[in-house]
Amino acid sequence: MSMIYPTIETNETYLHQAERVKRQNQMKSFLKGMLFLLPSIILFSVFVFYPMFKTIYLSFFLTNAQGATTVFTGWDNYKALFVDPIFIKSVKNTFLFVFYTVPPTVIISLILAVIANEKLKGIGFFRTVFSSTMGVSVAAASVFWLYLFNPTMGLLNKVLETSGLDAIEWLTDPKWALIAVSATTIWMNIGFTFLILLGGLQSIDSSLYESADIEGSGYFYKLRRITIPMLSPTFFFVITVSIINTFQTFGQIDILTQGGPANGTNLIVYSIYREAFVNYQFGAASAQAVVLFILILLMTALQFKLVERKVHYQ
Amino acid sequence: MKKIMSILTLGILLLLTACSGSNTTSKSSAEDTKTKSGEKQVVTFWHSMSGAGQETLDSIVKDFNHSQNKIQVNAEFQGTYDEALTKFNAVAGTNSAPTMIQTFEIGTKSMINSGNIIPIQEFVDKDHYDMSGLEKNITNYYSLDGKFYSMPFNSSTPVMYYNKDAFKMAGLDPDKAPATFEEVETAAKAITKSNPDMKGFALQAYGWLWEQLLANQGALLLNKDNGRTDTPTKIGWNEEEGKSIFNWVKQMVDDDTFANYGTNGDNMIAGFLSGDVAMFLQSSASARDVIDNAPFDVGIAFLPHPEDKERQGVVIGGASLWMIDGKPKAESQAAWEFMKYLQKPEVQAKWHVGTGYFAINPAAYDEKVVKDAWAEKPQLQVTVDQLQSTKPSYATQGALMDMLPEGRKIMETALETVFNGGDVDKSYKTAVQQFNEAIKQANKARGK
Repeated sequence: MSMIYPTIETNETYLHQAERVKRQNQMKSFLKGMLFLLPSIILFSVFVFYPMFKTIYLSFFLTNAQGATTVFTGWDNYKALFVDPIFIKSVKNTFLFVFYTVPPTVIISLILAVIANEKLKGIGFFRTVFSSTMGVSVAAASVFWLYLFNPTMGLLNKVLETSGLDAIEWLTDPKWALIAVSATTIWMNIGFTFLILLGGLQSIDSSLYESADIEGSGYFYKLRRITIPMLSPTFFFVITVSIINTFQTFGQIDILTQGGPANGTNLIVYSIYREAFVNYQFGAASAQAVVLFILILLMTALQFKLVERKVHYQ
Repeated sequence: MKKIMSILTLGILLLLTACSGSNTTSKSSAEDTKTKSGEKQVVTFWHSMSGAGQETLDSIVKDFNHSQNKIQVNAEFQGTYDEALTKFNAVAGTNSAPTMIQTFEIGTKSMINSGNIIPIQEFVDKDHYDMSGLEKNITNYYSLDGKFYSMPFNSSTPVMYYNKDAFKMAGLDPDKAPATFEEVETAAKAITKSNPDMKGFALQAYGWLWEQLLANQGALLLNKDNGRTDTPTKIGWNEEEGKSIFNWVKQMVDDDTFANYGTNGDNMIAGFLSGDVAMFLQSSASARDVIDNAPFDVGIAFLPHPEDKERQGVVIGGASLWMIDGKPKAESQAAWEFMKYLQKPEVQAKWHVGTGYFAINPAAYDEKVVKDAWAEKPQLQVTVDQLQSTKPSYATQGALMDMLPEGRKIMETALETVFNGGDVDKSYKTAVQQFNEAIKQANKARGK
């Protein structure tokens, strides 16, 4: 017994020492890493994490008009949400809105990008025109469309009337309002989507097309078998970003319809705004914001899980 | 994990101290320039007047700044009443808060509850200022238990605007406007019949108009005497009074004589001016704008009421001026001087003629400008007559509660549903339910 003891002891002390050195090294590299991360950690904490935790905190309270908490209510704000017809409608509207805007935006932008990718004289002009809506702010674009939709002197209704059709109450008819806002949004988003897709198109290796040409493949065959598959990472990016953006739409709703007619265009973000800054119910608004966060998180996770596997990275 | 948290907190602390540091420096430098640049006391005045209202207000402020050399009033437009109130709530209690702010009548209760204001009564008492010279109906609204919290300023009531030329075309008497819901329906039918391109009537989905149509029937908006005697616990109108408005609109929608402009008042006025609709309800504050811009004769009439109800009159709408707490004494005093200036008959006369808002000081109606304007545009006088023939009661005194902006949105949604052919019973029931829920929620949030 007494023979074994010292050896174990030395072994243990040795192990201890090795462990300590290892841990010190780890700590050092951890601190070094932290040092590099510090600027972004500070920025994120102040502008993302702190507001996020504050929102979660607020969502469990009722507040006064200044947003100070008054009464703790636990899960009541959340429970109320799921029976609140206005909120449920805004969630429905948001999904419809995503459905109305994202696919058309991507398809139209793809067509424009494929056309603008041809090497023709003066194509630079068209590329500028197609991406120009990127430079128009949401407010300016909305006001511009507000005039097009105007029931008395709007251009769209004038065109309809001269071609013998009935005028449409674009922004006050519940059947049309969401479509009208979607059209505005599609127009606004095309610039950005077009630019990203064009960039994707230009980075496709030309040797692929050359070998297809040698084999005598047609234009649409090349489009289907080379362009679209090679573009899939760009598609994935564009679609994910567009969906997140559309979920957060606010400006055009505020300017065009203010959520009307009869909450027909009330999207989640607008409903949050109204709850917080018109009704001064910061607690309920925070609860909606948390739900929106979870929704977007789920949608994005779902996309990564389902779609990313099909994406072809070069 | 502990490390991360401590680093996080350190970072936040650093940033916060940095922020507050820069705040104090900017404040002191601002004060320096103020004292250096001259002896003038600067008063910041947030308002929500646009269009003709803004022009007239700016010119009044200019007159005031030239009339003396101690006070400089800076009038800043801050968007609609809703927007201005939101901004104010964000900066209340900080140095960015204005000296005085214009807030709409339904914000009265939430301003009082906010605790960021000085009741005007303090200045009235100190100065022995006489408020009894002001229009009785207006002081009725703004005094609570005999105490003034804010200074009345711009007040208007809803009136019915109509196109006299269209009335002539349809064989109606242009000098006798329809007075009841039923007469409006008949007139609307006649107009659309004589001119298929023109709708008879438009009602903006605007909660304020709904409140006025209720009050005109003598109905309360909230129980506990419209919140004047105690904190309201539910709605104050009964089903008959509430539904009459919905049914009235529904009837015209079914007759195809109703023009739907949703919640957009500007589009409605544009439609009226270009002859798309012959009658609409709107604040008298737009009177000057509409009369000046219409290429036809504009008539202005009292707000309609259901045939089987007597006309009770209207609630005073518009806004009042609030003194913000936490400002240097001299600054508040300067703002009080400006408020007093605004009540002078000659200033009120200019205000009334320039906009269509009332003169809150009736002495203004004896001023020459007003008499001339009335001779030229007799319509302006209708708005004043309507106010002065209002029967004082809790209904026409108006409701007080901090959830009223939310209540308006609820009624607007219900109205829009009916405009688009929705079922009256269903939309009415939902609206009442939501309205009661909002009252309950507001009471709960106050911890009562």
